[in-house]
Amino acid sequence: MVRASRLMAVIKREYVERVRTKWFIFTTVFGPVFFLAISVLPALLTVRSVQQASGPDIRILDATGSELGVRVARAMRERAENNTLQKVVSGSTPIVIIDPQIVRLASTALAAAESTATIDVMRGVTQGYLVLDSATVATAKARYAGKNASSLGAMSQIEGALRSALLTQRLEGAGITGLRADSLARVKADLSTERITSKGRGGSGLVSAIFGFLIAFLLYMMIILYGQNILRGVLEEKTTRVAEVVVSSISPETLLAGKVIGVGAVGLTQQLVWLGFAVAISAYGLGMAASMGITTITMPQVSAFQLVCLVLYFLLGYTFYASLFAAVGAMCNSQEEAAQAAQPVMLLLVASIILVQPILAQPTGTMATVMSLLPFSSPIIMPLVMSGTQVPAWQIGTSLAGLLLACFGAIWVSARIYRVGLLMTGKRMSIANVLLVIKLGRRY
Amino acid sequence: MSELALDIRGVSKRYAEHTAVDALSLAVPKGTVYGLLGPNGAGKTTTIRMVLNIIAPDEGTISIFGASNRDYRTIDRVGYLPEERGLYKKMEVRRVLRFLAELKGVSARNADHRIDEWLERLSLKTPDKDWGKAKVDELSRGMQQKVQFIATLLHDPDLVILDEPFSGLDPINAQALKDTVVELRKRGKTVIFSTHLMDNAERLCDSVCIIAGGTKILDGTVASVKGAHGGNNVALSIAGGQERLAALLADQRMIDKVDDQNRFFEVKLHQGADPQALLRAIIAAGVEVQRFELVQPSLHQIFLEKVGATGVEPGMSGHG
Repeated sequence: MVRASRLMAVIKREYVERVRTKWFIFTTVFGPVFFLAISVLPALLTVRSVQQASGPDIRILDATGSELGVRVARAMRERAENNTLQKVVSGSTPIVIIDPQIVRLASTALAAAESTATIDVMRGVTQGYLVLDSATVATAKARYAGKNASSLGAMSQIEGALRSALLTQRLEGAGITGLRADSLARVKADLSTERITSKGRGGSGLVSAIFGFLIAFLLYMMIILYGQNILRGVLEEKTTRVAEVVVSSISPETLLAGKVIGVGAVGLTQQLVWLGFAVAISAYGLGMAASMGITTITMPQVSAFQLVCLVLYFLLGYTFYASLFAAVGAMCNSQEEAAQAAQPVMLLLVASIILVQPILAQPTGTMATVMSLLPFSSPIIMPLVMSGTQVPAWQIGTSLAGLLLACFGAIWVSARIYRVGLLMTGKRMSIANVLLVIKLGRRY
Repeated sequence: MSELALDIRGVSKRYAEHTAVDALSLAVPKGTVYGLLGPNGAGKTTTIRMVLNIIAPDEGTISIFGASNRDYRTIDRVGYLPEERGLYKKMEVRRVLRFLAELKGVSARNADHRIDEWLERLSLKTPDKDWGKAKVDELSRGMQQKVQFIATLLHDPDLVILDEPFSGLDPINAQALKDTVVELRKRGKTVIFSTHLMDNAERLCDSVCIIAGGTKILDGTVASVKGAHGGNNVALSIAGGQERLAALLADQRMIDKVDDQNRFFEVKLHQGADPQALLRAIIAAGVEVQRFELVQPSLHQIFLEKVGATGVEPGMSGHG
């Protein structure tokens, strides 16, 4: 039985005692900084490292007696320059070959040059070497050996560069010469992307992808952060034995509900503060940009419906995981035990977040659809997919309904574990114990 | 018969490995001090937790002031001090107390007033220092126990249940606890406490119940329990001459049982033996007698007799 005034007392305590801590103030102020650091920085660093990579690249051993080696090297450089942030976000491996070294030699000297190159690769002087022999021009076959031979990105870059160089070479052989051959072979397609939803054209695809990624990551962080927070709270009540005093006054269900709601309110408070920061900063930033004459900044366009969904997914996802974390806390007797017992729950969360990149790359794929419907991953994946593509209403409905159902299930199960676990001290509950508790409930 | 504060009927609680409480029935009259006595593992804490609706019995009914204990409005009238004590360590004392009072339905404003009263009464708030503003983990253990005790009584409960209240208390806090129990009784409240310290029970309780192995061994008013076990008992205190006394007390024609506590002896005489003859023999032996009194058996004696020394873990039956 849950009584409103008692529930309020629990919510108030959970909320006030957390908001009063230095930890809360610290994370609220420095959270955005930290969040930017771990979400955006790696992407930026990858781009920079692509552009500024120096040192040993690959060696091209050209025994064709033609310009093929030079052409391959030029094609490689061009491909590296075309590498953009978009490719990083969409999950393709960044291209790393920028400055190939060309060695022109006769066919007879090839064997010796190859063994020298092998030694150089082993010493780390160069990453690998590409062999263009006398048959390459005719058969379009070349060999590559190197440390990065298993890197798909590097190999596709080499292959692409070789293809375009061979094309130029063959065009020349067919009598089309010089610049004309170059321009024919070097068709550079530049695809700018734009989302179309049922409401019309929806702004830059890239911007919504980045936005979706940030949202997914934020949801993931908040659920982990506050889920763990609940776990610690339950564990504290259990180890200090204060739980017995509390459940002698109110039902464990009231305590559990108050805890989940109170801590969730702390999370919402924090997000509101951050939203305030974001609005202030972007207003300031846009003003600055406008004064500098930049007017083409694309902002992610979020509809009211999307916003409502976002809040719903956060609340339900948080409730689902918070209940599970609470049950884990009630099962354990120490931080160490809890860290171990929380692994399965963490695994569900991590499974969702590691699929963010592939799903972002293909938001209409089967994996995206399945993961956005499964209750354990939908709170993270569905907002992500929604930012990348138009999701049919029935899918959103099914996903939310499933999540809601899963929430009830999680609350029901963890209330049962919670009631018994809270007073069971000394040893961790075994799986058999937990199953029995779920089956028997209060009669355990 | 006066109204019952607590009425337990045929309550059982079984776990996979053992039966904690077996068909237990108790009746605690309103306005009395009631002792729940038993060795460790007798089922006292399980019984108390069932009374407070923390765990549900497999069988039987429990009512408090005539109403079901499944109704939380009933539980609001109960104050509970668990055996394992604990508070939120990082919280301010005053905030913890306010929170626990609110859980019992006391408004925050009312609670503040009462908290001040109690803090002053238990000298946790003096003109020099207000411990109410300190965090719980800044308090000594004794002070934390006082705070916990305040939390039990803050909502002015009609029924107060104390599980092993004397364990871990220093003599001063123990005395304060006894004083409070007496005062609660005077104000018409009902106090139930569990203990294995028979001396405290004997002095404080109107009625007692001895349980062991989850079943009731006996219950009733202290006077009736003692009367029913009335025998030829002698309380004997000496100032010296233990060796000479030991020889006399070893005489099995005269003595049934001796509880030897070095300078104090509780002696159960053999049926028909003459206590005067024993006294003469003791004096003749030159033992320095300080006290020789014909008494009813102490609860401690009855407890040992009924539960058996085997039912008591070593060192658990001491006097408090």
